[in-house]
Amino acid sequence: MIKILAIAWKDLRSTFRNVPALVMMLVAPLALAALLGFAFGGGGGFDIAATKVVVANLDKGGAEAGQSAGAAIQSILSSKDLKDVLETSTKSSAAAARQAVDDGEAAVAVIVPEDFSAVVYGSDPTATSQVELYENPTSEIGGSIVEGVVGQVLADFNGARAAAAGAVALRSDAAGDPAAAQVAGTAAEQFTHAGGVSAGLQISQRSPQAGATEKEVSVTGAILSGMMIFFMFFGAANVARTILTEDRDGTMPRLFTTPTRHGVIIAGKFVSVFVTVLVQAIVLLIAGRLMFSIQWGRLDAVVLLTVVAAGVAGGLALLVISFAKTPAQAGAIGSGVYLILALLGGNFTGTAQTSGVYGIVQKFTPNGWLIEGWDTTMRGGGALDIRWQLLVPLGFAVAFFLFAVLKMRRRFA
Amino acid sequence: MSIVEVKELRKQYDPPKGVLAVDGVSFGIEQGEIFSLLGPNGAGKSTTISMLSCLLKPTGGDATVAGHSVVSDPQAVKETIGVVPQDIALYPDMSARENLVFWGRMYGLSGDELKRRVDEVLELITLVDRQKDRVDKFSGGMKRRVNIGVALLHKPKVLYLDEPTVGIDPQSRRSILDGILALRDQGMTILYTTHYMAEAQELSDRIAIVDHGKMIAVGTHEELVKIVGEGARVSARVDHYLEGMAERWREVKGVEKVEIEEDEAVLLTEDPNEVLPRLFEAAATAGSRITEINVTEPNLEMVFLHLTGRALRE
Ligand SMILES: Nc1ncnc2c1ncn2[C@@H]1O[C@H](COP(=O)(O)OP(=O)(O)OP(=O)(O)O)[C@@H](O)[C@H]1O
Ligand SMILES: [Mg+2]
Repeated sequence: MIKILAIAWKDLRSTFRNVPALVMMLVAPLALAALLGFAFGGGGGFDIAATKVVVANLDKGGAEAGQSAGAAIQSILSSKDLKDVLETSTKSSAAAARQAVDDGEAAVAVIVPEDFSAVVYGSDPTATSQVELYENPTSEIGGSIVEGVVGQVLADFNGARAAAAGAVALRSDAAGDPAAAQVAGTAAEQFTHAGGVSAGLQISQRSPQAGATEKEVSVTGAILSGMMIFFMFFGAANVARTILTEDRDGTMPRLFTTPTRHGVIIAGKFVSVFVTVLVQAIVLLIAGRLMFSIQWGRLDAVVLLTVVAAGVAGGLALLVISFAKTPAQAGAIGSGVYLILALLGGNFTGTAQTSGVYGIVQKFTPNGWLIEGWDTTMRGGGALDIRWQLLVPLGFAVAFFLFAVLKMRRRFA
Repeated sequence: MSIVEVKELRKQYDPPKGVLAVDGVSFGIEQGEIFSLLGPNGAGKSTTISMLSCLLKPTGGDATVAGHSVVSDPQAVKETIGVVPQDIALYPDMSARENLVFWGRMYGLSGDELKRRVDEVLELITLVDRQKDRVDKFSGGMKRRVNIGVALLHKPKVLYLDEPTVGIDPQSRRSILDGILALRDQGMTILYTTHYMAEAQELSDRIAIVDHGKMIAVGTHEELVKIVGEGARVSARVDHYLEGMAERWREVKGVEKVEIEEDEAVLLTEDPNEVLPRLFEAAATAGSRITEINVTEPNLEMVFLHLTGRALRE
């Protein structure tokens, strides 16, 4: 046991003194994550560049002072809650607003008609009024956000109008109250101010996300988890390759002349590989947390995923080594295998495409499962939620490992 | 019984067509002696050492070290031996000390004993002040010394040294050879391989001459040189008329044989000390001057030449 640890310690020390290896194991994944994260995400969060919205509020107001449904829409669109998503400015006329969209100054124009409040607060339930959305067809996301927000507001107003109309009908039955219009107006106003609209908006603001309890996955986190697994393959391969370089350089034969059993020497190498990628993963996880503020998720899931990923990387590296005769051969075979696995498993594409044929192909790679596991974990999932994303790669790791042991036994017998 | 017993050891690489590197070699090494395998490149020295180190399985025969068979009990053999491989087998990115500590652990040392042995070996290989330097920053001779030091950590009963002085400066070579003699004097048994005749002659208690996988002679240096006869060889040049001079030298007392080889006369004699003054006398009487004269005591080179018809170093 002491000998196994001595071998592992020696390899670990050598790896962490080897600057090119460190660059490959630690700097490359971090740099790529930073670069791609910046390119796709513009920073830490799942930021979509704020959509520029122009509002032309032509609303003349309701019958009573202070009744302005148009102003309500405008203030919701420019509310604090939406300021990351929408950047709202105003125009004085419908034409100016449309012009702003045509000129590319804004992605969406929201034009509130003159009679908007009159219809909303008015007593005629059959009256209609249309809020116009004039949008640049290329700004799909921004447009649909505005559509969602405005649509929600309108739905609320419509609900208020229905309620008010009901109230008016009741009063009319009783006494033909002349103030029916006023009651309807007040009811509508009450409804909008009593939180109906804002409550509705909160829901609409959440609707683009998958579910109320899930956290957002930062783009950098998604990229770094993929890169981490990919570069763990190389980290493991680096150490596993020392089995061949030591064989070539005579230190492996020399080990065999010491009273150290072959099994111990091979086990020592296996531990070296495993511990090295484990250290690599831990450094990357911590660096990701510190440099990119990535929320990796619950500790149990993170620990298990990391250990299983290290097992997969180690098992695969040893398997590759067991097939290669020279270090150069191992490098060539390994790079090919890792690249193909990474492409199939989605290390470079993240979880965005886990559907269709690609989704099925990913399931045939251990890394595909691991990436899925990281996605769930970063969304707040626990060990139980990712049991398959742990068990399947673990199965791969064990299979790789056993195969490698068998082949190497024969070789170093 | 000999501490190392080699019986009909054979090794063919990649049978059935591969090189027959060791072809039925038998010898015994006594406790506390330096035994050398002397032979040219490719003679099978390293292959023999590998089999005696349990690195290679013999294709025939067996060997025992301290009574343990290399075939059936390799673990026990490995505990008895220290192996210095022909090519330096160290971790270049680790310091001398780190290397020694690592290999010491592989030999089962630990704790204070490990530390003490590492210090002792560093002293022995005179690298105490460079112990913290990485091995790849060392000169060839220093690497060789660390390479040897590794095999001494566990104080093996038997030490194998495979051409440990190849490619180093005379000073380092001297210190290595002195070190080996000192180890022998402390009771270690040493199996040494070399293709330097002078080294074998200086170090060895007994020498086995090997060629093409076969052992062609074995014995002490004196025993071996007797194979070519006991005379010394004197070769001389004179300033003029070599043939006439050779005729006169043939008459000199103590000279057994004179032959002309190209532009020099080659004489064989039992006792060059007595004969040489007479050769000068004869030359003076004949009015000739000796311009060059060489005395060669019988050596292993001559034995090898005698037995194989080839020079040891081509
Ligand atoms: N691994 C191998 N596979 C095939 N043939 C080998 C192998 N190792 C050595 N040989 C062959 O076996 C023969 C003996 O080689 P060996 O290395 O034992 O000689 P040596 O006496 O140590 O020579 P040197 O002085 O050059 O070290 C040579 O012909 C060599 O080519
Ligand atoms: Mg050799």
